[in-house]
Amino acid sequence: MSRQGGRSDPAGRRGGEPAGETHGAERAPAVRPFMVTDGRVAAEAGLPVETQVVATAEGLGQLGALAFERRAIVEICGTPLSLAEVAVKLRLHLNVVRVLAGDLRAGRLLAVHVPRSGTSSDIDVLRRVIDGLRAIPTSVGSRDAD
Amino acid sequence: MGSAPSPLPSAHGTPTETVSAQVGSAVRPPLPVKMVVAGGFGVGKTTAVAAVSEIEPLTTEASITEVAAGIDDVSLTPNKTTTTVAMDFGCLTLDPTLKLYLFGTPGQDRFGFMWDDVTEGALGALVVVDSRRLDDCFPAVDYFERKGMPFAVAVNTFDGDLTHPLDAVREALDVAEEVPVLCFDARDSGSVRDSLVIVLEHALARAVAAA
Repeated sequence: MSRQGGRSDPAGRRGGEPAGETHGAERAPAVRPFMVTDGRVAAEAGLPVETQVVATAEGLGQLGALAFERRAIVEICGTPLSLAEVAVKLRLHLNVVRVLAGDLRAGRLLAVHVPRSGTSSDIDVLRRVIDGLRAIPTSVGSRDAD
Repeated sequence: MGSAPSPLPSAHGTPTETVSAQVGSAVRPPLPVKMVVAGGFGVGKTTAVAAVSEIEPLTTEASITEVAAGIDDVSLTPNKTTTTVAMDFGCLTLDPTLKLYLFGTPGQDRFGFMWDDVTEGALGALVVVDSRRLDDCFPAVDYFERKGMPFAVAVNTFDGDLTHPLDAVREALDVAEEVPVLCFDARDSGSVRDSLVIVLEHALARAVAAA
């Protein structure tokens, strides 16, 4: 068994079937994502999934003036959440959350904290994560003696 | 407000760039970092995420870019398209200023493995392997190699059985010498935690070497 063998497998598909025609087949949500966003696709597509969003005081103050998804986003972001968590909690497509978060940011109702680029190779950050992981209690014992 | 935020090289210690202007007095969020747990279908990705996550693993839909060919040279594959898939994630608050997100990306995909939406900016990846179905992880290994992202190969021992010696797994995968190949138990939080640390130490060694 070797990886070369595995890699040669998809050769027949090169330039073949257009992959784009396969998506969306599984299940259609009651409300299509583009309806929630007034037909816009993610202008904020660059926002990483872990981007933190948090309601501003203005946002919380104007909850009553917001409706539906926008209101829900501000409402659950009283404490900081990632875009991914917002998407899950509100059962929205990630790209819908990106678009709406962009709107809310423009309206100063939501603060959007985009992670610095370059974080992934930042030596200090890596050390902090390693130390943080080592410090977490792992109560579920029975580790392999290895 | 379509313009992308300009991620200026800010001073050390600044957790995140605040993109919005000074709006209100929003709570300061933690620095979010992420790692990817990848591998074929049913190898234990979700189990591994669940073992260390402080929340029940959640499933969300994300867009991925597909490449309609699994061949090495990505420049020769113009058939890129975007599709929607489900992915799981969990998280771990390491301290009030640092939160680790774990994204489990399904790897059983006939179009290859281009999870740029999730993997961009990740610290590293753990490729989970069932040694009885080794080829399931090939797309993930190929992907992280091409992307130049630090990763480790973690053979899930399931019931404590390591069906193939790690040397044989390494040989079959033909990964670079510095890529860690280890065995772990996806159900055991300590084992998963240690595996993630191994990925990060590998990433750290590379970052130090490049500095």
